[in-house]
Amino acid sequence: MYEPKIIGYLCTWCSYTGADTAGTARLKYPSNLRVVRVPCSGRVSPELIMRTFDQGAEGVLVLGCHIGECHYDTGNHRAAKRLPILQKLMEFAGLEPERLRLDWVSASEGDRFARIVNEFTEAVRAQGPCQWTMISRRLPVIRHPLSAISELDSALGGQPARITDHGSLFTDSIRAKARELLSTGQVECVIGYEVGPRGRTRPAFVYQPDDVERLVWNRACTHNLTAYLREKLYATKPGTPRKRVAVVVKPCDSRAINVLLAEQQFLREQVHVIGLACEGIVEGAGFEPVSEGQLQARCARCIDRMPVVYDTLIGEPPEVGQVSNLSHDLAQLEAMTPAERAGFWLSQFDRCIRCNACRQVCPMCNCPTCLYERDDSLWAGMGIEPSEKRTFHLGRAYHLAGRCVGCNECERVCPMKIPISLLNRKLAKEVEAAFGHRAGGAPMPSPFVTILSGEEVRP
Amino acid sequence: MNAMPREELAHWLDRLAGGKTLIAPRDVDGVLLYRPVTSSAEVVWDFTRPVMSIKDAFIPATERLLMIEKTGQQIRLIETLAEGEQVIFGVRPCDARGMKVLDALFLDTEPVDPYYARRRENTTLIGLACRELGPTCFCTTLGIALDDPRDVDVMLTEVEGGYAVQIVTAKGDALLKEARGWGLDVEPQIPDRSDLSTQQPVISDLRSLDWPPYFNDEYWDRLAERCLSCRICAYVCPACRCFDVRDEAMPSNNGHNQYERIRCWDSCAGVNYRRIAGGHNPRPTKGQRLRNRFFCKFYYYPQQYGPVACTGCGRCIDACPENIDITEVLAHVGQAGGSSHNR
Repeated sequence: MYEPKIIGYLCTWCSYTGADTAGTARLKYPSNLRVVRVPCSGRVSPELIMRTFDQGAEGVLVLGCHIGECHYDTGNHRAAKRLPILQKLMEFAGLEPERLRLDWVSASEGDRFARIVNEFTEAVRAQGPCQWTMISRRLPVIRHPLSAISELDSALGGQPARITDHGSLFTDSIRAKARELLSTGQVECVIGYEVGPRGRTRPAFVYQPDDVERLVWNRACTHNLTAYLREKLYATKPGTPRKRVAVVVKPCDSRAINVLLAEQQFLREQVHVIGLACEGIVEGAGFEPVSEGQLQARCARCIDRMPVVYDTLIGEPPEVGQVSNLSHDLAQLEAMTPAERAGFWLSQFDRCIRCNACRQVCPMCNCPTCLYERDDSLWAGMGIEPSEKRTFHLGRAYHLAGRCVGCNECERVCPMKIPISLLNRKLAKEVEAAFGHRAGGAPMPSPFVTILSGEEVRP
Repeated sequence: MNAMPREELAHWLDRLAGGKTLIAPRDVDGVLLYRPVTSSAEVVWDFTRPVMSIKDAFIPATERLLMIEKTGQQIRLIETLAEGEQVIFGVRPCDARGMKVLDALFLDTEPVDPYYARRRENTTLIGLACRELGPTCFCTTLGIALDDPRDVDVMLTEVEGGYAVQIVTAKGDALLKEARGWGLDVEPQIPDRSDLSTQQPVISDLRSLDWPPYFNDEYWDRLAERCLSCRICAYVCPACRCFDVRDEAMPSNNGHNQYERIRCWDSCAGVNYRRIAGGHNPRPTKGQRLRNRFFCKFYYYPQQYGPVACTGCGRCIDACPENIDITEVLAHVGQAGGSSHNR
């Protein structure tokens, strides 16, 4: 009979003692469980759980104190917030949700401990061998190509971009504002867009009032320029005045500013936000000399047409055609079986070359050293095994939960066309469902970094 | 010179795929890549160039150098050299030149890299001449012709009804022995591409560029402002070859521990590339890192190993999300009086 390997992370204060109680009472439970004693269920990070599965576990059981009884007051609240979302993410990536369980066992509940372990072992055994670990062990798994989910463009009916060319008008406004800000010394740099010699639109950094003629606005201004704020604003030596820059943002980018403000990456007064009304950006922007054409799928779905934070606003709320809030691809992926999804993501991550462009372009990926680029290979190795790349992409998606504003830069820059944004959209949906939080609508931190608001009292 | 009808070429590739690893341009979920194919039916015939070069058939993105087995007090080292012959079909002249660039370091300079040498020895390159220059191609600036046969084993050029076959090396000749009964009766009319091959180069004489005065040019900091410090440019490049080596634990059973020594691609654009023991980073800014990329290609590498480490394939131009364009850099360094930019 198939005997799954199960790892249990038990809080030392309640659940581990609960397991002792079960032992003292001579209660029987399956020997599939290998117990790791941890100081608190809040210590069991999502990375740890993913690593456990990668290393061959076929089920992970996390047990902590009941809500309200945490030795550290709030540790189990953190676990209660993190794990259900992690479960959704791993389910989306092809893990059967039955293989991960979070529950509460107090020191005196030996019978409850035995019952939970029995239930969980049965549930995991019923799932059979795990696709997830087969990928880690380099065993054959049936792959599913991208065409397994419907092409987004056709789902959107090939909606053409509406050409009500505000380009030159907006360009003039941006230049005028930039000249004013630079000549009065309010900012030392304006981050905007320019068109390069090949006709490709690209980021521009303007320092001199005479130089503002480089700045443009067109339908190919796809880059999220807030990603450059960090290095521009951090480069302040102690004792010198804080730097100030101006940045041109679309509505989606402006939400990124709110997230960064909430995370105290810089002060509000350091940034002069030049916000633009947006009718959407066209396909191929940034890579080809385009000015019109099909709307990007993310823009066809977009509900933000005006910036949510700005100092200067350019443009009126645009008349927008029907918002296609279509998520056919997401829905189709969700409708697959876990094994099919595992095969789908395997064939996607397989192409990844670990160039890290998705991470580098992301305004929210602002750790000085990425967790997945540590010299000790603690969470992911240096190589390009599909399991390592899966760890990186899922880990990154998880770190963006409640923070990703959906600018889709990660997907745009990917030379291998990996549909990374599916992960981000899935998590945004789950976070909104669980916590009512939408990233960047206001300068509010992600629900994962706040403590105790009641919504996490589950399961 | 002789010619081969297209069907016969397909048969030949099928036969090759039977005995060897045949690598050819293949559509992988909408991305064109050189990947192993099992039959000629999977091959994409019409293409400008795949997203990645052929270099990972010689220096894979991750390669195990050796395996370390520890049982009790015993330690065993297991060397892992690549086995099996491979044939790469559809090699563009720029990628073929890329292999010559890598040869200068891995084969022609001591110590010879045994992993690279083994793969190079076991691999035959079947070139396919380009019909035209792609929008970002500038191989002609590097002195490569669209149907340049110098760096491949067999060169194919599309002609009426099939492909003109040019046998370049003995290795190529041996490979063609496996093709039976091929040959068109007519002398193939090879299209003249000399006009394309002499198309206006980005810079007239690459070798004459004077790089050292540009070392302290503030241009690098300006150019690098929009650089993301990602590694796309190095990874898509047929001539970039930097790597990092690390020992990693492998999943293994109790009392029988296995580790592998792997080498993986690395890129000078990455923040940690130049960091040394103790944590110091002599190349901390993006401008310095980007400068190194171009100095390496056009100044350091030619000085140390001979060839220019660029083949004009234009992949980095296509793939850079922020439009850092190597031809713009060359134009900047080539402009007269550039040294006045010195700080």
